[in-house]
Amino acid sequence: MNTLPGLTLGLALALGASFAAPAQAIENTLVVVTSFPKDLTRKFKTAFEKKYPGTRVEMLKKKTTAGIKYIQETAGNNSSDLFWASAPDAFEVLKGDGLLAKYSPNAPGIPDKVGAYPINDPDGYYSGFAAAGYGIMWNTRYLKAKKLPEPREWEDLEKAVYHGHVGMSAPSRSGTTHLTVETLLQGDGWEQGWAKWKFIAGNFKTVTERSFGVPDGVNSGDFGIGIVIDFFGLSSKASGFPVEFIYPSVTTLVPANVGVINNAPHPQAARAFIDFLLSDEGQTILLDKKIMRLPVNPKVYAKAPPDFPNPFKDSSIGSAVKFDVLLSKARYNLVNSMFDVMITYRLDDLRNAVKAIQVAEAKLAGNANPKAQALIDEARALVAALPITEAQAADPAFAGIFKKKRKKATDTVTGRQAEVEQQWDEFVKANYAKARKLAEQAASML
Amino acid sequence: MSVARHPGQSLLFWLIALFLLSFLVIPVVQVFFVAFVDVNSGGFTLVNFLDFFRSSLFRESFYNSFYVAAMSVLVASAIALPLAYFTTRFEFKGSVIIQSLGFVPLIMPPFVGAVAMQLLFGENGSINLLLDEYLGFTVPFMKGLNGVIFVQSIHYFPFILINLSASLNNIDRSMEESAQNLGSYGMRLFRRIVFPLAMPGYVAGASLVFLKVFDDLGTPLLLNVNNMLAPQAYLRISSIGIDDPMGYVIAVILVVFSLFAMWIASLALRGKDYSMIQKGGGGLAKRRMRPWEKVIAYAIVLLILLLVLSPHIGLTLLSFGTIWSYSVLPDGFTTEHYAEVFRETPEYMLNTLLYASLAATLDIILGTAIAWLVLRSKLRLRHWLDYIAMAALAVPGLVLGIGYLRSFLGVNIPFGDRPLATWWVMLVIALAIRRLPYALRACNSALHQVSRALEEAGENLGASRMRTIWRVTVPLMAGGILAGFVTSFATAAVELSATLMLVSTESDAPLSYGIYVFMQSAAGRGPGAALGMVAVLIVATGTYLSHRIIEKSRRERSFERV
Amino acid sequence: MSVRIELNNIDLSYGTTRVIKQVSLVIEPGEFFAFLGPSGCGKSTLLRLIAGFEQCQQGDVLIDGRRVNDLPPWQREVGMVFQNYALWPHMTIRRNVAFGLEERRLPKEEINRRVDAALERVGLLDYAERRPNQLSGGQQQRVALARTLAIEPKVLLLDEPLSNLDAKLRIHMRQELLALQRELDLTTIFVTHDQEEANTTSDRIAVLEDGVVQQVGAPMALYDRPDNLFVAQFLGSANVVRGQVSECDGRPCFVSEGGLELPLPDDLGNPNRVQALVFRPQNLLRCDENDPAALFAGEVKLREFLGNIVRYEIEVQSERLLLDELYGRGLAPASPGERIGLSIDPRDLRPMTNA
Repeated sequence: MNTLPGLTLGLALALGASFAAPAQAIENTLVVVTSFPKDLTRKFKTAFEKKYPGTRVEMLKKKTTAGIKYIQETAGNNSSDLFWASAPDAFEVLKGDGLLAKYSPNAPGIPDKVGAYPINDPDGYYSGFAAAGYGIMWNTRYLKAKKLPEPREWEDLEKAVYHGHVGMSAPSRSGTTHLTVETLLQGDGWEQGWAKWKFIAGNFKTVTERSFGVPDGVNSGDFGIGIVIDFFGLSSKASGFPVEFIYPSVTTLVPANVGVINNAPHPQAARAFIDFLLSDEGQTILLDKKIMRLPVNPKVYAKAPPDFPNPFKDSSIGSAVKFDVLLSKARYNLVNSMFDVMITYRLDDLRNAVKAIQVAEAKLAGNANPKAQALIDEARALVAALPITEAQAADPAFAGIFKKKRKKATDTVTGRQAEVEQQWDEFVKANYAKARKLAEQAASML
Repeated sequence: MSVARHPGQSLLFWLIALFLLSFLVIPVVQVFFVAFVDVNSGGFTLVNFLDFFRSSLFRESFYNSFYVAAMSVLVASAIALPLAYFTTRFEFKGSVIIQSLGFVPLIMPPFVGAVAMQLLFGENGSINLLLDEYLGFTVPFMKGLNGVIFVQSIHYFPFILINLSASLNNIDRSMEESAQNLGSYGMRLFRRIVFPLAMPGYVAGASLVFLKVFDDLGTPLLLNVNNMLAPQAYLRISSIGIDDPMGYVIAVILVVFSLFAMWIASLALRGKDYSMIQKGGGGLAKRRMRPWEKVIAYAIVLLILLLVLSPHIGLTLLSFGTIWSYSVLPDGFTTEHYAEVFRETPEYMLNTLLYASLAATLDIILGTAIAWLVLRSKLRLRHWLDYIAMAALAVPGLVLGIGYLRSFLGVNIPFGDRPLATWWVMLVIALAIRRLPYALRACNSALHQVSRALEEAGENLGASRMRTIWRVTVPLMAGGILAGFVTSFATAAVELSATLMLVSTESDAPLSYGIYVFMQSAAGRGPGAALGMVAVLIVATGTYLSHRIIEKSRRERSFERV
Repeated sequence: MSVRIELNNIDLSYGTTRVIKQVSLVIEPGEFFAFLGPSGCGKSTLLRLIAGFEQCQQGDVLIDGRRVNDLPPWQREVGMVFQNYALWPHMTIRRNVAFGLEERRLPKEEINRRVDAALERVGLLDYAERRPNQLSGGQQQRVALARTLAIEPKVLLLDEPLSNLDAKLRIHMRQELLALQRELDLTTIFVTHDQEEANTTSDRIAVLEDGVVQQVGAPMALYDRPDNLFVAQFLGSANVVRGQVSECDGRPCFVSEGGLELPLPDDLGNPNRVQALVFRPQNLLRCDENDPAALFAGEVKLREFLGNIVRYEIEVQSERLLLDELYGRGLAPASPGERIGLSIDPRDLRPMTNA
């Protein structure tokens, strides 16, 4: 096999010369590890192979987390060329492990930032090719049948009317979901942000394991409202599902990325693919109705359908928060763990507590009963209470417990994640139970 | 060990041991190792296990897993018992339907099955939309643990059906007649005589269901139930950047508990050597049904089949439907999804056939060999083969996948320069290891019911050990071996978790992988369902054909009836 | 107390195969009755019909005067002991024996009492807590019997109960069975293919062949006066000489196809219909070749020493005849090749019209 590529290459070159096409010679194979759905990967594969007729693209479909694991595990004998996925954090992990190679794409006309977020890795290990922001999608039939109003802002999702109708993925399961959680935490502040998430989560029907589980649930009507990344909403709508999508005012636009894997067996093809992604041709593919992702090249928006959001024009999208990547990275695993302990794994307790508060508040509405009000306030505070402060979360020693990457034998970490999580779990479980009791007590007074 | 007396046995033993060691034990130990490492010092520790039992979340998960597994066994039994009863006790035309459709639930590919079930039985699924509109209430079939129990029972009840039916068919007629003669009949007779005698088969099936549900990852994940052990292990192992030992600890606990459960099952089976020499036609007497009994029987069978085939019904609707959203039925119907699938993914189907049949063949060879060594040889360590092979049940596919990557990435394939771990043959071996327990249990229980005397007769007539096995034992086990092949083949064809880790090029990918890929996008639901239907049809056809062939040859070999 | 069993014009087919053809039998109360015949003759089917495991297309089964055709097995109160004993391996001996009583919802104390009594009767009370596979064949047989007797059935059916036992045990068990049957005065039907078993135990025997009752009678009567060749040959050894009634020296006699001349028996019936004569080997008498009593002479071809008797195969003309003699009585044993004289009492000759 080792001798063959040269031969095939020569052949491809000879053939290529007779067409007017590609400028440079590339290898005959390209292996891409990607978390993107087939609808997206196929379009690019077809177009790329058309442009480089001698090259066959292998798309290895893996969930982001599994993809990282795969690249980490196979690093010793790497057979993949590109990692192509949404979450910048995933690229950060690979970059941190030294598994990515630097490449500066040859792509004119791409700005530095989309919304408030830099498009490319400042160190040059990976490049953004499309932007995505989190928002709210809903099933119009569902809302109509259940007579629910359309939500506009994150705050809307806290309302009692949406109890049991909202779905979301866990940040630990989906890198993009993590960004949404983090965005709200940065936008509203640590305590306010968490409180908001908890009261939204109190209305959850479910926390899905896969990020695609959210649009899937909304599309089929399993639940009515989903917190999703934009292209899930936009492509679901474009595929014919009775759904709508909007960006709330607090959202972050984050680039989806591509990076060359260290020791890639086909580096030329890998670079060619990145350049292709960022070319006008590649960027236009993003507007396909089954893909519907925001291009990073502002020029391409001219070809977009009428009501397609344009972050380069509409400054309200994704600019409300100045996203701090370093802060996010420092407490990445800790935030995921907190979300899981406080929300995912204690969803029933949380839901019950929030439901009790909503019932009490509904009864209270219009009445003046300071005693009941006080109980409700106390219940709300209990639900919102956090086991650690922002300062603690920012302490690198503490966050280190959640890293568990001992690089050298001399590295030591104090405390174990399981130990800490167990303490948190006891804390929130007791608080939720007490909040529920207080709210029920308040309701019984009314 | 009497090596000198039975060199062949020992050789077989060590070959199998080597295989299991290389492709099951070592990869898993590589992964489990993490559970015993102190994250702070890097030394050996048990503190992680202490953490597990201290954590209320894990205790709750443990309880939930146990509860779901036990309830699933109950519900699956409730489904399988009447079906097994009708097929073995009556001259009932429906038996053919039951036998051919009874195992179909096993071949529901993950993802699509749960999507289909949600669409039909979910809170806003077809059934509940109808109930709500006409009767004003809904039933939480799919809520939380209910949903897991519901889906698991429907998915795994064939294990009980297949094993129980085989066992029932092996009971000598006189066992039942003597009870009737002493005044027993009907359900009482079934409960006191027939069922206890079929116990080996039932326990084999029920323990499979229990273990499978206890360890299953896909269903709870798809239904977004996290408070169970396997999802907890998975969520922790697969998360970015968290090298949290708890996931690995849970994996170890899953294996240990599963071994414990299997030990209990083997205790329950101890001393129950019910093998019986068949006299004449043998088997339980089949009775012709009275017309009204026939009506009831058909009603029950159809109701159960409707229930257990509901994922397939849902899948069919989904594969032909245009948009299906918050409505009883899809908005419209189209064949475009099938066209798309056949246009784009024929290699998935061929790969699936190849992998699943290779894996299943490997499984029945290993299964028969191990069962034989365990039940017939006197080798001192023979039971360990059984234990180790069965332990594969407790190994989540993901763990096995990671283990393979860890163990075989540094090794190149023979005469090539690619890593062994990325060779498609490894996928076949992984599938075979994952499905070996099914085949092994089936072979084991088949061999359990072959009386030693029949083999001794063969040896007495001058056939060597090997010839006797080939000419007497294996033909007598044919039913069980077939059951093992069918289960292994069918379930290997839709296996996803190990596949997901080990597929390294799309051209090597099987159907389940293709379905997974399709199901990750809004527009891919239809084609994904269509591919799922193709998978179901391929496996069903393959199974049906092998069933026919083996049934035919068995009929030809069986005694002439006077 | 004991009951009568009647089978009237029973006809039973499996599909198109007629297994029982127009069988009518009466088994008297308290009788020990045997169905005897080679395998496939329908004897087990007939037994299973009485137990209710088979359905006949025609005819009636009456137990104690009551038609039971439509009664399921569990309501017939007919105890059956199966050939393979059919002890349930998942139950202890005690549970096995108690089963039928439990099905009758008897009080616990009574069950215990009756189980103990039944086990006591077969001498296995000490084995009550064991499981069937821990018992020997003979013990299993007794348990099966105890299990059946415990329900105090109206009728006892035994399906080849001794066939799985060794020879000594078989003799012992059949005596025990008979003693038990007499003690309980229980109408009993015993299926066997072994004429010795049938002869030793039964009051009467029905010989079956090809789904048809060939003859019914007491063992000795059947032996002495078989109605047909099948019965004659199935019950012990018999010399069959085919031929016809003719004249020898002016007197009527029987001339065989092999040229043998025999005197005619007294109860000849219609001489023109006689096709064969049958007689038992021990009825042939040996004498010196030149003895005037000799009816004919022959050459000893084969001698078998069977312990109590010596059996000779003798060639007379072109017939081969069997001759049994008690060992140690009368003449000294003859050797193969020796020529001997033979005679027979005409009363021991049995004419056959349907050979």
